[in-house]
Amino acid sequence: MSFLAQTVRQVLRQVPNRSLALTSAMRSLSISPAFHQQNKPAPSSVDASAIAKDQLKECQSICERINKQVAKSEQGRLFAVVHLCGKQFKITPGDIILVEGYWPPTIGDEISLDKVLLAGARDFTLVGRPILEPGLVSVKATVVEKTLTHTKTHFRKKRRKQYMRINFQRSPNTMIRINSIELARPVDAKTEPESEPSKRLF
Amino acid sequence: MSNSHLFLKSGFPRAPLQNGLGRYVCQLQRITLKFCKNNGSSRGMRDFIENHLLDFAKENPGIVVYVKPRRHRTPVLVGEYLNGDREWLSCRNSTQEEISKWIDLLKTQNGSSSSLRLRKMWHTDVPSIQGPWTPFLLRSPEAQDQKYPSEESSKPLDIPQTATEKLIELFRQQQLEAGESANEVLSKKRAE
Repeated sequence: MSFLAQTVRQVLRQVPNRSLALTSAMRSLSISPAFHQQNKPAPSSVDASAIAKDQLKECQSICERINKQVAKSEQGRLFAVVHLCGKQFKITPGDIILVEGYWPPTIGDEISLDKVLLAGARDFTLVGRPILEPGLVSVKATVVEKTLTHTKTHFRKKRRKQYMRINFQRSPNTMIRINSIELARPVDAKTEPESEPSKRLF
Repeated sequence: MSNSHLFLKSGFPRAPLQNGLGRYVCQLQRITLKFCKNNGSSRGMRDFIENHLLDFAKENPGIVVYVKPRRHRTPVLVGEYLNGDREWLSCRNSTQEEISKWIDLLKTQNGSSSSLRLRKMWHTDVPSIQGPWTPFLLRSPEAQDQKYPSEESSKPLDIPQTATEKLIELFRQQQLEAGESANEVLSKKRAE
């Protein structure tokens, strides 16, 4: 027996793909029939539906606790991660964020940021996959300033080639003030898609 | 960055007087348009005054507009802001459209922001709500009284089973099936 094993080991050293060779070698080595040695785990006797039921129950209890806290307005300050113009910002009421580049809204416009990736308070966090369902969290903001950046110098030169260019550029910037972040409706354990999804998603 | 940026001020985004939290207040208070009545460099400015200035003044009742003709001088735009800033723009030989764009810029900004490099695109007064992250956050209590150096925690988590170990395991399995006799065989082989 041990002699056999040694030969197998020698074979293994020569064969590059170890794992495949190993299993086949084991098969050849074995005295017991092949179906005994299959690597698959034994079928679990645990009921999957029972686990799902437990999870659902736990989810519901958590949602209930969140809703209770929100109903009593004890949740404190909310924060959110929003997706805006290709960037993600972690915001809370009173924050200032800046959007770089051309962006149509002008000063004094009140906008709602709809792509909320995550919302949270002191005791709970709602995580979207990838965004929270529209209408669950309402984030209101005001456009405060539209201005230009400082003058950026774009200078390029190639040595010994009589090539030199200098350009100056200023790109537009938009400053946004976050006014409020609110949970618009109670959190539900069963995530149903809303009947009419929001049309504008910035 | 070039040498002209060496003395460029840098800062963080701010809005004056909590602007936009309750309501939004336009920060531009006064705008002065200076021009010449017969010089060619003021032509765009004169066109703007003829065609668009009244509309601008009607649309923005909060902004005081002054128009100041002066002889043989270049046209100039001056904006004065709520925070005391004063922005001066030369509009020599610029067209009507350019002037309306510049006036729009003066209207929408909070002060003369020409020379401030922003270090962040975000400002907050409340940096953390659930508390800042520490390395001990969400760690198991056993990790607290771990003694170092420890054999267990210095090993990698995913050591694959070696061929020898696999063979020994297989052999043990067979042993169980075959009975006690094989055990003796193994011990005999080991002794050899």
